[in-house]
Amino acid sequence: MRLCVAALAALVVACNGGLGPAPAPTSCPKNFTGICGTVKIRGAIPDSTDVVYLVAYHTFPQSRGDLFNFVPFPPPTVSLADTTYFYTLPLPNGRYEWVLAVWKKQGPMLTIANADSLLREAGYYKRSDADTSRFGAGIVVVNSIGTDSIDFVVDFTNMHPVSFYFPAVTVRR
Amino acid sequence: MSRRCLLLFVLFPAGLQAQATGIVYGAVRDTTGHGVRSASVSITGSRLRTNTGSTGAYRLEVVPAGPITLEAAALGFQPESVAVNVTPNDSTRVDFTLRAVQNLAPIVVTAGKRQQSLQDVVTSVALMTDSAIARRAVNSIDEAVDRAPGVQFLNGQANIRGSTGYVQGLGSRVLLLVDGVPANQGDRGGINWDLLPADAVERVEVVKGAGSALYGSAALGGVVNLITRDVPDDAHARVRVIGGGFAGPPHDVWKFRDYTGIEGGVDVTASWGRDPFRGAVAAGTRHSDGYRQQDQRDHWQVAGKGQYRLDPVTRLDVSGAWASDQYEVPLSWCLRGRCDDRGQAYQPFMVDTSGLGDHTRSDKGYLTAVVSRDPSPTVSWLARASWLRTDFTDFQRAGNDFGKANRFGGELRGVIRSDPRQVVTVGGEVAFSDVTSDIFGVHTQAEYAAYGEGEHRLGAARLTTGARIDFLAVDGGGLTAVVSPRLGAVLAAGRGVWRASLGRGFRAPSLAERFVSTFVSGIRVIPDPSLRPEEAWTAEVGHARGFADDRVRVDAALFWTEARRLIEPVFIDTLAQIQFQNLARARLAGLDLSLSAASLMPRLSATFAYTFLYARELAHDTTPTRPLPFRPRHLLTLDADYALGAASVGAAFRYSSRFERVELYETDPRVAAKVVDLHAGWTRGPLAAHLLVSNALNYIYTLVPRTLAPVRKVTVAVTWTY
Repeated sequence: MRLCVAALAALVVACNGGLGPAPAPTSCPKNFTGICGTVKIRGAIPDSTDVVYLVAYHTFPQSRGDLFNFVPFPPPTVSLADTTYFYTLPLPNGRYEWVLAVWKKQGPMLTIANADSLLREAGYYKRSDADTSRFGAGIVVVNSIGTDSIDFVVDFTNMHPVSFYFPAVTVRR
Repeated sequence: MSRRCLLLFVLFPAGLQAQATGIVYGAVRDTTGHGVRSASVSITGSRLRTNTGSTGAYRLEVVPAGPITLEAAALGFQPESVAVNVTPNDSTRVDFTLRAVQNLAPIVVTAGKRQQSLQDVVTSVALMTDSAIARRAVNSIDEAVDRAPGVQFLNGQANIRGSTGYVQGLGSRVLLLVDGVPANQGDRGGINWDLLPADAVERVEVVKGAGSALYGSAALGGVVNLITRDVPDDAHARVRVIGGGFAGPPHDVWKFRDYTGIEGGVDVTASWGRDPFRGAVAAGTRHSDGYRQQDQRDHWQVAGKGQYRLDPVTRLDVSGAWASDQYEVPLSWCLRGRCDDRGQAYQPFMVDTSGLGDHTRSDKGYLTAVVSRDPSPTVSWLARASWLRTDFTDFQRAGNDFGKANRFGGELRGVIRSDPRQVVTVGGEVAFSDVTSDIFGVHTQAEYAAYGEGEHRLGAARLTTGARIDFLAVDGGGLTAVVSPRLGAVLAAGRGVWRASLGRGFRAPSLAERFVSTFVSGIRVIPDPSLRPEEAWTAEVGHARGFADDRVRVDAALFWTEARRLIEPVFIDTLAQIQFQNLARARLAGLDLSLSAASLMPRLSATFAYTFLYARELAHDTTPTRPLPFRPRHLLTLDADYALGAASVGAAFRYSSRFERVELYETDPRVAAKVVDLHAGWTRGPLAAHLLVSNALNYIYTLVPRTLAPVRKVTVAVTWTY
């Protein structure tokens, strides 16, 4: 009988440790590889908002066709419930030239052809406010740990469509 | 002879012959006095034979008068023969009492497409009997199969030794059979486990490893055969009522509703049997609130089975079932900001608000007719025709999707026992699938196959060789041929049996994988009509042995599978699209170990099963060798049952190690699965009650990304049998 009770107790202990509550992070988690930071949200959220994605590019896209060379896939989303949001963006090791938030409008399924009408660049990481370059000069390096404080602003009053960056339709096939 | 007599002779030759014949009748019983069904009774040196009916009775007419030797034989019994002098124009009664073969291994029908003793099978087979299913009080077939050694379910997708992984229901590498008839969906190749009620299943046979040498496509990783209950003699009825409830979340911050989710249902079966006809009908319904937000399910089903004995050696079986489900679709749990997250990074009991309101209606059914005949002790054959229909509509905010698919099948099979040391199984099979869907298009696929397998006994060894050739044609195009050979051997040595096999398996791409055109997470999925069949070679060496007067049985198997051209979804960066492609080479190797102990201690029985799995996607292009996703390295089950008179109690523990790799959400939290089930049963007269507490410790885990695995559920099932 004692053996049974001991076995049962051992089983109960062994079966502890499943998934538990995980408060939203306020800093890069342990054993995390990627980048983290705070997104500040400015402006009124458009009624037609479907979702706001966070993505990163190793190099700035050279054409509309390159727009889908982002990581990670599927991309995480930004919570719009508060005016600030601490994000974690899991990324493989490497150098990233462009980290940005992409606003997606409600509507049909996304294709390269309708990307210009459905997607907007809503904000990206800059090294500093003084950075006035077209897509920011905020290069981020990930090296097997969480790179923290990659903060930027999502400004719904100043979003840019795909054609802002790629006026000519140069879809690569 | 007068002219009138001559005319009589020409018109009624049989009548004249009858003058020199008699009738032999009687019964074949076991040592307890119960009739032995389907025993063969034959006259030595003659083609005259018959089979016993359900009561063990037999009758042979037109038996030549004079001395004969009558033999009775049945699988699992030692044959008996007796010398009889048949009196002309009279009846002679001859009864047999057959002795069961001692320490008889179970009889299986799936591994060789014929009846054979489990110890003669060249591959590993796991069995789930109806008594085991009832004892564990499971309520669905996938719950029953999930408890077989070496088998794991991932959100409805069956994995045998890690074969399938998880691809959202598409492309099962396990073939489902219902009474030997293929039942994988015609469009997606997946499996509808709710096609039949668990109560209708007498036993489940799980054949592990490549089974394409007999079964063709989809049997790449193994075969699961659901064998339904036979229809007993006379009138019977069975009513099964189940009711229960789900535990709430173990943490208040995860609370998502103010009431206890319940589940309930009723199944009614009625049958009547008296040779030559017997039949059964069943109907049932079930409702579940589910254990998560937006997880309700309603299920209705009807099923029927009829048997008609055309003559003593010919039988017609007709069966069918129809099931309809309406269920909500909690595809992904909620991440921060996508629901009322309460400051949590994720809410496992809640769904992403973008999926709120999504639900599915799914109808499926099958109809099968089988004619089987045993015209002589050395030859038997069967012919079957089948139709499987699936019909689903996904109701979604972003637009509804639908698919209607049919799979028509036919098979002709013969088993020839030319001498006691040799058995040959030959056959041909055809299947025709079609789909009409907004996401899969309108397409057809035809499969034509011929197969043969021979078993030859050499002393204590049995050697098996066989092969199957399949021809596949999509949309009436050119034929693709696939050859699947298999070699095997079984060697009895003392109290143990060694087995070894080497076989090839393949899986034809499903119509869905070839032609899917849809969106996933906003990304377009494009078709790939040029997909080729997946292929694999599987080798296995196993040993089964009994200890302590066979009260302890051990079975161990080493297996090795080399797969190539595995079909996987691939994200194409340059096109921003997903496509199913023939991509990966993979290796799945490991050890399957099972141990069962019956009556080792009074009234206590226990089973232990462990699978070690090394599953790797091999290096290709720029991808290095890496773990195959959704495969556990360790899979362990432990069951114990204690019976005391009419009552029994038991517990089952299942452990699956944390997946080394998953697709898409690599960084999401995941843990090992450690699940304890408790069950109890009580039987008194026509009433039986079973209690099941599944996931008794309410262990919170996930196997499929962002999908909460079932939480604790308490179910009571009461069965009344007439």
